[in-house]
Amino acid sequence: MQAYIIRRCLLNLIVIWIVATMVFGALRLDSDNIVSKMRGQCAAGGSTPQQLKECDQIARAALGLDASIPEQYTDFIFNLVQGDLGNSAIGNKDPITSEIKERALVSIELGLLQLAFGLIIALPIGIISAIRQDTWIDYILRAFSILLLGIPVFVLAIVVILLTSQYASSGPLAPWLTPSATYTDFVDPFGWTSNESDPVHNMQNMLAPAIIGGLGSAAIIMRFLRSQMLEVLRQDYVRTAWAKGLRERVIITRHALKNALIPVLTIVGIILGTLVAGNVLLESIYGLPGVGQYVVFKIAQTPDYPAVQGVVIVVAVTLVFINLLIDISYAWLDPRIRYS
Amino acid sequence: MPKRPSVLHGIVKFCRKKPLGAIGFGLVILLFLLTIGAPTGKVGAPSLPDRPFGFEMSQSFMARYDGEDKFYDPDGGLKILSAPDADHWFGTDSAGRDIWARTVVGARRSLFVGIWALIVATVIGTTIGVVSGYFSGIADTSTQRVMDALQAFPPLIALILIVSINPFASGDKTSLMTTAVILGLVGITAVQRVIRSVVLSTREQQYVEAGRVIGATDFRIMTRYILPNIMASIIIIFSTGIGVVILAEAALSFIVPEKVPGGISWGNMLSESYTRLGEKPYPGLFSAAAIATAVLAFNLCGDALRDVLDPRLRSQ
Repeated sequence: MQAYIIRRCLLNLIVIWIVATMVFGALRLDSDNIVSKMRGQCAAGGSTPQQLKECDQIARAALGLDASIPEQYTDFIFNLVQGDLGNSAIGNKDPITSEIKERALVSIELGLLQLAFGLIIALPIGIISAIRQDTWIDYILRAFSILLLGIPVFVLAIVVILLTSQYASSGPLAPWLTPSATYTDFVDPFGWTSNESDPVHNMQNMLAPAIIGGLGSAAIIMRFLRSQMLEVLRQDYVRTAWAKGLRERVIITRHALKNALIPVLTIVGIILGTLVAGNVLLESIYGLPGVGQYVVFKIAQTPDYPAVQGVVIVVAVTLVFINLLIDISYAWLDPRIRYS
Repeated sequence: MPKRPSVLHGIVKFCRKKPLGAIGFGLVILLFLLTIGAPTGKVGAPSLPDRPFGFEMSQSFMARYDGEDKFYDPDGGLKILSAPDADHWFGTDSAGRDIWARTVVGARRSLFVGIWALIVATVIGTTIGVVSGYFSGIADTSTQRVMDALQAFPPLIALILIVSINPFASGDKTSLMTTAVILGLVGITAVQRVIRSVVLSTREQQYVEAGRVIGATDFRIMTRYILPNIMASIIIIFSTGIGVVILAEAALSFIVPEKVPGGISWGNMLSESYTRLGEKPYPGLFSAAAIATAVLAFNLCGDALRDVLDPRLRSQ
């Protein structure tokens, strides 16, 4: 097991190195295009060839393109290993690492809430639907899950907001349903990013996107859990448990559920992956200042390439290691799985 | 000699066994039929600068737009944000354009992007998957590590980035075809992963070994022995993938509407409605319903195809 973990970690390092190199290469491949797109930001202004040349030179310096390629590459990798993702190319040239750190807290909060709601909804529904297979309650719950699968999360979020703005724009529910960008600003619950702390206000910002995101995850978890439960419930050891005269509750929770949850972990892993990637769509729609909204903002204005590159690397690193954790937890949950 | 079951009989049997799949196929066929009749020209009130929906098309089901007066109130004003009625099935939007007509034209765009993206993704993904799975060893390992790296890129962020940097076009805007190709390229990693895993098991079959014994070349084994036998997986990926791409395209034109090709799309309608919160929500609601229906339809299709074509899941 230890050997497996060490080997996987080394392999992951190689993958991350490839990601970093690709990100590095992508900017260099098309640098003229990117530099020309940054002309709008140029303080010198003007459109004479001389002024344009100056602007391009400033942009190249901001992007770190003004050294030789091998020099740029060693610099880039060296800084990366130290956790320094460079500075933003636009505006105040803020250090990207601290920007991402600040926003990651929001994304992580949203992701965890979303996962929690997903599980709260999916677990009971998946279990009931499996143990009452082919009854009317199973049909209703399955129809519900198929419907949820069909309605993409971001479409659902927009529909909720559209309907709210139409029919509940004032009243006690409004602050809970309206996106913070159009209602008030985001406040974090424990004063992570500012001195303010206001859990209730934070929940007003977070609850709607978390529940909507949770519904989307729940639809997937529920389907997996149901089919897995059905398979497990037909196993010999479950029949033995019935024959021993155990109560249904004990059989379901101790014998069946524990084994049925293993594949569900994969999906939990995917959802956890969005923790740091930020839920791009939900964050943008609800105006939450997370990593996802940050990256969209950085791309949508003049492309701030270093910032985007930083986010991509951070996300890739997180995803790769979450996958490793998931694989390890398989073996921990199911002793039959042996990695050698 | 037993009578060969007719096609109709097969369809009826399928509908009875897989009612949800049948609904999915029905919806997909409906979507395609709608786009056949969709106007290419201009439809809408004549006073609108771009006449977003024309009256010149001849398809009978659009003929009801012949009366240009249907876009005006009795007192001569343009019908703006009107509720659904007999003249405008889905109502009109903030510029007085018919939402039903725009939804139909949006379907054409979604299907175009979905199909071309999946053609790109399956052709390239299958090639990589088959070659990588067939020749295991160092070639396979190195390809898979690169694919791992590509898969670690968050797809939506990658999409937004590629569309905004736009390395394929000289102008400022991407064409619809370029958008489709970009969406397809992002999907390659997922396709090749599934195909490779199928090839790994197909490769060990006896008929492949037999092919090798009679001296078939690697290329012949891959194209004549393995490819026909993984066709089921490819078809499943194709149908499920279209739903994913339609959703991605809608998300893209919602989130960075200025970067994707202009024109009528469900995502644009959604984003228009969203930026005008407080107005009547018809354009947003109906485009949301259209996206949900299309995604659901292709999901159901993919599920049903998987049940029917995948031997491991074929019911006893």
